[in-house]
Amino acid sequence: MKKGILKRKTLASRIIRNVLLFCTGLFLVTFSIYYYFTRSTIQQTTQENAVFLADNTANRIEQILSPAEKIPEIIARMLESAFLTRDSLIPFLRSVLAANTNIFGSVIAYEPNYFADKQYFAPYLFRQGNTISATMLGNENYEYEFMDWYQIPKMTNAPYWSEPYFDEGGGNVLMTTFSVPFYTFREGKRVFSGVVTIDLSLEWLTEIMSSVKILDTGYAFLLSRNGVIITHPKKDYVMNHSIFTIAKENGQPGMREVGRQMIQGKSNFTSADFKSKYHSGKLWINYKSLPSSHWSIGVIYPEDEMLASLQKINLILLLLVVIGLTLLSVFIVRIINDITKPLKQLAGSARIIAAGNFNIPLPTIKTNDEMEELCDSFTYMQKELSEYIITLKDTTVAKEKIESELRIAREIQMAMIPHIFPPFPELPQIDVFAVLKSAKEVGGDLYDFFVIDGDKFCFAIGDVSGKGVPASLYMAVTRTLVRSISDKEFMPSSIVSSLNKSLSSNNESSMFVTFFLGVLDLKTGELSYCNAGHNPPFMIRNNGEVFMLEKTKFIPVGLFEDFEYGEASLRLEPGDKLFLYTDGVSEAENAGNVLYGEENILKVIQANLEASPRELIQCMEQDVAFHVNGYFQSDDITMMTIAYNE
Amino acid sequence: MNNLKFNLHKLVLALLLLFGTLLAEGQLRKLVFSPQWLPQAQFAGYYIALEKGFYREAGLDVELIHPSANLQATSLLASGKADLISLFLITAMAHKEKGLELINVGQISQHSAILFITKKSSGISSLGQLQGKKIGIWKSGFDEVPKALMAEKKIEVEWIPVLSTVNLFTMGGIDAMTVMSYNEYDQIINCGINEDELNVFPVADYGFDIPEDGLYCLTKTFASKKAEINSFLKATLKGWEYAANDKKYAIDLVTKQMQLAHLPANKVHQEWMLDKVLELIHPGNKGGEYGVLQETDFDKAVAVSAKLNGTKPRFSFGEFYYSPLK
Repeated sequence: MKKGILKRKTLASRIIRNVLLFCTGLFLVTFSIYYYFTRSTIQQTTQENAVFLADNTANRIEQILSPAEKIPEIIARMLESAFLTRDSLIPFLRSVLAANTNIFGSVIAYEPNYFADKQYFAPYLFRQGNTISATMLGNENYEYEFMDWYQIPKMTNAPYWSEPYFDEGGGNVLMTTFSVPFYTFREGKRVFSGVVTIDLSLEWLTEIMSSVKILDTGYAFLLSRNGVIITHPKKDYVMNHSIFTIAKENGQPGMREVGRQMIQGKSNFTSADFKSKYHSGKLWINYKSLPSSHWSIGVIYPEDEMLASLQKINLILLLLVVIGLTLLSVFIVRIINDITKPLKQLAGSARIIAAGNFNIPLPTIKTNDEMEELCDSFTYMQKELSEYIITLKDTTVAKEKIESELRIAREIQMAMIPHIFPPFPELPQIDVFAVLKSAKEVGGDLYDFFVIDGDKFCFAIGDVSGKGVPASLYMAVTRTLVRSISDKEFMPSSIVSSLNKSLSSNNESSMFVTFFLGVLDLKTGELSYCNAGHNPPFMIRNNGEVFMLEKTKFIPVGLFEDFEYGEASLRLEPGDKLFLYTDGVSEAENAGNVLYGEENILKVIQANLEASPRELIQCMEQDVAFHVNGYFQSDDITMMTIAYNE
Repeated sequence: MNNLKFNLHKLVLALLLLFGTLLAEGQLRKLVFSPQWLPQAQFAGYYIALEKGFYREAGLDVELIHPSANLQATSLLASGKADLISLFLITAMAHKEKGLELINVGQISQHSAILFITKKSSGISSLGQLQGKKIGIWKSGFDEVPKALMAEKKIEVEWIPVLSTVNLFTMGGIDAMTVMSYNEYDQIINCGINEDELNVFPVADYGFDIPEDGLYCLTKTFASKKAEINSFLKATLKGWEYAANDKKYAIDLVTKQMQLAHLPANKVHQEWMLDKVLELIHPGNKGGEYGVLQETDFDKAVAVSAKLNGTKPRFSFGEFYYSPLK
């Protein structure tokens, strides 16, 4: 029963396993494709948003920086065209500041010694609270011609946005200065004459940048041209660090490379080749340069947050798949149960039928499919089997009866031949041993021996054609005839001829028997014999010589009524032995259909020259059994050995 | 009454204790030292010697002051506000030549840190190619050695004085720039220019490996405080040794000093500076001892002065350098 459960389980689980494997594989492939495309779509969308965000932020900054650039540029043009006089500069700058509230201060700084009367001429107007104050820059402690805001536009002949700085005089706010070189004509030549600047507070910049919100923890930062952090959510970084020192401090060469791309004015959305101290996951960065100041906006996107929606969908999807597969498993179990239910019932019935109960009703299956067909076949089989078994029972009874009768017949047959050895304890001259092993219950072989007139030892061996009951009956007849004939006849030829006559008449079934009969004169050792178509026996001389008696020219008995049998004779010396056998020995077959053969008989005899008749036959039996090696015995085996002693 | 007497005892005891500590303080001999520039890793050894009590152990009560943009170290020395200052060798010689009676009492730096640098993109890959080019140079001094080198090599250049930033160079306003290996060079690297994008010409490679930062005092101070100055130099060298063995501590101390002075403190840059300055302090394959000015180096410096001024300084090695270590 346990085995049954196990088997049923295996079938269901095998199908479930295979289906689940396939479904999981299918899901994985589908999911991978889905994931790949969704991910790249999200990346693309994020990139578009990132670019839009960066552009938007850049525009917001540019909306302030770009118009501010115009003011010193216009002033520079005005100075070049000598539109402004030296005395009008301060009132002019004052009006500029008054009109442009986002400008903190402005200077028009002339080259030292531009005016013959003054080494330095640089009016500077700046806000102080709500008022606009004016002062002159330039003295031995403040040689402005060496300041970046002056020197760089002068040397590069180009406008320059200074690196942002904290202005100590202006309330320690973050400032930047935009400087534009101006030129005047002297002696017909356009020569560099000074620099016009405006100072801008950058407080609004921090506001704009910190208003940029990306995902949960993403953020924006701004780099100066030198890579210095102008705005960053981490306040410590601002103006204290450049992206390059941060990269070095944290051992992030990838960050340095991004920094270089940024300060070189490039734009990109890329997977960041660096890690943040504050965010463990992978990062993406989008950067864009400001067209005016060439500062660069960087926007950091944590990848896990970027793909958070995807992760959520993935989780739901996974959950759905698990539920789906579970339901599928349950469904499969139910289907299999439905399908195998009749099978199980059939199996149960089959077991009962096998136990011999043919009359149990089979389950009714009306599925109109293979299962019903199987059930029909089963029903048919049950019917056939039932009938067959009834027949078989009758047959078996009959057979058993026959077998029992045969057993009795065998006992009778065996009782007919002498089977007590030694048979003649009172005759020391003779030692006899014989065996008869029938291939079937009863056999057609025979042997016999008896003493005639007290000193003549008569012996015979024979093999009836065919096997089984007919042969055994024929054998019984033969044996009886021999005994009765030898009461009147002593010559082997006469006995055999008489026997032949009796057997041949009324031999409707045309059976015959090969027969060897010998009469040994115990006094003289004279052996006369008649061989009617039987295997010639082996003569074993006391000197170790072994030979086969000559082949017979007489036909088996029972064939022709008037056949005349002759006889031959030879003299036995004391110690001589005679070995007789039927063809069941020489033709004993093994599985390879190899016959035992007369050579092997000879070999065994030669190996046991000194053996007693019993020993010789036992050796022969063993050797034949060894040769046959368990293969079924097809013919009766009969052996007889006679030893002649003094 | 008893109560009052008891209180009197207490008072006497308290006074005794107070004077005791004052007396003990008084046993430390006061010295005021000023490095030649604002706090940075260039002076880490002094901060450590002070913080770790090496000066105090040497029986000194050292006060560390810093110059400002308007008040140079030499002014502090001349006015007596500082007993000892740190100064560039060539600068010190120029001041002595001009009549400031100072003497070298210890040579901390043994090598020149001055480099010429160009951008590889400019195509200038040898010193000779600087002919006719614009070279940025410190407006505030340290210009003697590079100028002497160019004069010796007969390379005529346009010197552009710059104050303190490297922006003129990074913006392409000049073709080359003189930098200190421990300072401006790293500033340029920290502006995103890679080392392999620069060509570097150390003046030391052209026979101008002239020591830089040394310890100076007025001749009269040395006469009266020889023992103290000796102790100061020894304690300072101990401070540098400590800095070399515990750079992290040194950097923390330097950044603390910088924050106290409200200076932007960048650890990465200070680490670079400390490494380079420690290299400069090591006599290296030149031989000689820590803290000692070699006469050969003095002679090289004299040659530079002679080259630039046309005349040799009026003082000898012996008059310029008194080693308290001797």
